[in-house]
Amino acid sequence: MEPITIKATKSSPFIHVDPAAHLIQIMGESYPENAAKFYGPILSSINEYLNSSGASRITVDMHLTYFNSSSSKALLNFLEILDKTVSQSKDIVVNWCYHPDNETIFEAGEEFRDEFPSLTFNFIERSSEVFMA
Amino acid sequence: MIRFNVHEFYVDLSGKGIIFCFSGPISQDVIEGIGGTLKQKMEIEDTDLNTSQKVFSIFVEQMQNIVNYSADRVIPEDRQEGEIRIGILIVGKEDGHFYVLCGNKISQENAETIRPQLETLTRMNKDEMKQLYRERRKMAVHTDEKGTGLGFIDIARKATGPIEFDFLPLDGDFVFFTIKAVI
Repeated sequence: MEPITIKATKSSPFIHVDPAAHLIQIMGESYPENAAKFYGPILSSINEYLNSSGASRITVDMHLTYFNSSSSKALLNFLEILDKTVSQSKDIVVNWCYHPDNETIFEAGEEFRDEFPSLTFNFIERSSEVFMA
Repeated sequence: MIRFNVHEFYVDLSGKGIIFCFSGPISQDVIEGIGGTLKQKMEIEDTDLNTSQKVFSIFVEQMQNIVNYSADRVIPEDRQEGEIRIGILIVGKEDGHFYVLCGNKISQENAETIRPQLETLTRMNKDEMKQLYRERRKMAVHTDEKGTGLGFIDIARKATGPIEFDFLPLDGDFVFFTIKAVI
């Protein structure tokens, strides 16, 4: 499968799927006008990638600085897809990156972790909040 | 004469601690533009990151509610993207706290759905809101519809005190809905 890159906009994150590196990255802010429409196609591609990948371990970097409530639903769907993959004997490591002063994002990560006990969550402090791809 | 009135309005707004006041058509572009400036202003004033995140977050949820539910529209109903709907936004500061207030016209039917939800939220503590948010998030169906019904819970969770709201009956089957959250 070819790598997928979605560029960031003011209200949607940078998304990168790198099959060679067994890596998925989601970074930036997320409050698109229609989160279901924005995330729908990319989540299908990610699902396809996960099902076809022979990797035993996949790393997921999530460095979101803000997301709205409907993006939160989309991210839950994303983690659900990852969770299903774990049951296919793949290890998934989620690196949840947060700014040390941003409690909201840290707590949101904890809430996601609590929903999916089979995913490994690492909480990583990152001071820089700038991305552009 | 015009200049005098505008100045009076301007002085009146700043005297009331109003930082932003926007009334008119609201689109995703307006949300991104005002939101960006709002964040910039809070950053310049060294507002702590937790506070500015909450202000921004409540601002986005309230504005997107207008875009999703305002009964005042500029373009026909059948368009899914780039919709422009009318509402009013006020961001201000009172007693050292930021607040975000939005108002827009909604249908009577919509008001009857929203009111009990908001009333329930005002009786809940933060832990109960968190549970409700997580339950609703799991249940919510992400179709092509824009809203997930999580917005009000998110606003209530991020607000400092209980959210305030009002439903003012208008002519016909409409209600003017106002919501205010203090951060």
